[in-house]
Amino acid sequence: MSPQESSPRRRFSVKAESSELTLVRRFVEEEAARAGLQEPRVFDLKVAVSEACANAVEHSGENPGPLEIISLRTHEHLTFQILDTGDFRVPEANVNLRRESRGLGLPLMVALMDEVNISRLQGGGTKVTLSVSLRSNSGAVRAR
Amino acid sequence: MDIATTTLSGVPLVEVSGEIDHASSEPFERSISAVLAEDDRIVLIDVSEVTYLDSGGISVLVTAVRRVRHSGWVGVVGANPNVKRLIEIVGLSVDHGLRMFPDRTAAVEAVDGFSSE
Repeated sequence: MSPQESSPRRRFSVKAESSELTLVRRFVEEEAARAGLQEPRVFDLKVAVSEACANAVEHSGENPGPLEIISLRTHEHLTFQILDTGDFRVPEANVNLRRESRGLGLPLMVALMDEVNISRLQGGGTKVTLSVSLRSNSGAVRAR
Repeated sequence: MDIATTTLSGVPLVEVSGEIDHASSEPFERSISAVLAEDDRIVLIDVSEVTYLDSGGISVLVTAVRRVRHSGWVGVVGANPNVKRLIEIVGLSVDHGLRMFPDRTAAVEAVDGFSSE
């Protein structure tokens, strides 16, 4: 068994709709508390996971599929995996974007997390992996 | 998210509370547009009761800054440390079109000073 498989793992599933983002953040708060994380890292995780989910919601189309959030805890890291059935959208390619700063989601994830990974799932869909270290509670980025 | 609009020292003030994310950014943006007249140079946004903000809320601030920055600024009042840090990370805090104030007293001083400039 890998270390991850033997460690606490929780699964949370919602519809890929923006109204569900609040529920996702309550799940992140619970998991962060279980892992012993404190502010400002709890906030960082809520933002990063929300941005990943919002991205999934954006490309989910008119019939939103399921959005799955899995939390994995090891001694060293708290990790969230966000799995959806759509394809990660390249912001610049979408001419219909109403707001200019819509592409901030991914840069924010990178700024706030210790590790960010995006991969395409076999059979369609995207997996975003967001990880913070449990060893230091300091923020990953210094403000300008 | 809850929103109320009023005026403070003669300029529009938007009081917003709760969580501003991708679901609540549209009503937030509408309320700012509704109070911001064509010739307004300043708009104050009191975020002291805002517990969460992400790029959904940031995009609304950017839109507001773009509207007034040629002749004025957006005043963000009472941001908690997390909200303040996010505004700093995206670089908005160094834009001359956005000013941050710890409280309304400080915001009013800046508004009154700006009006008499």
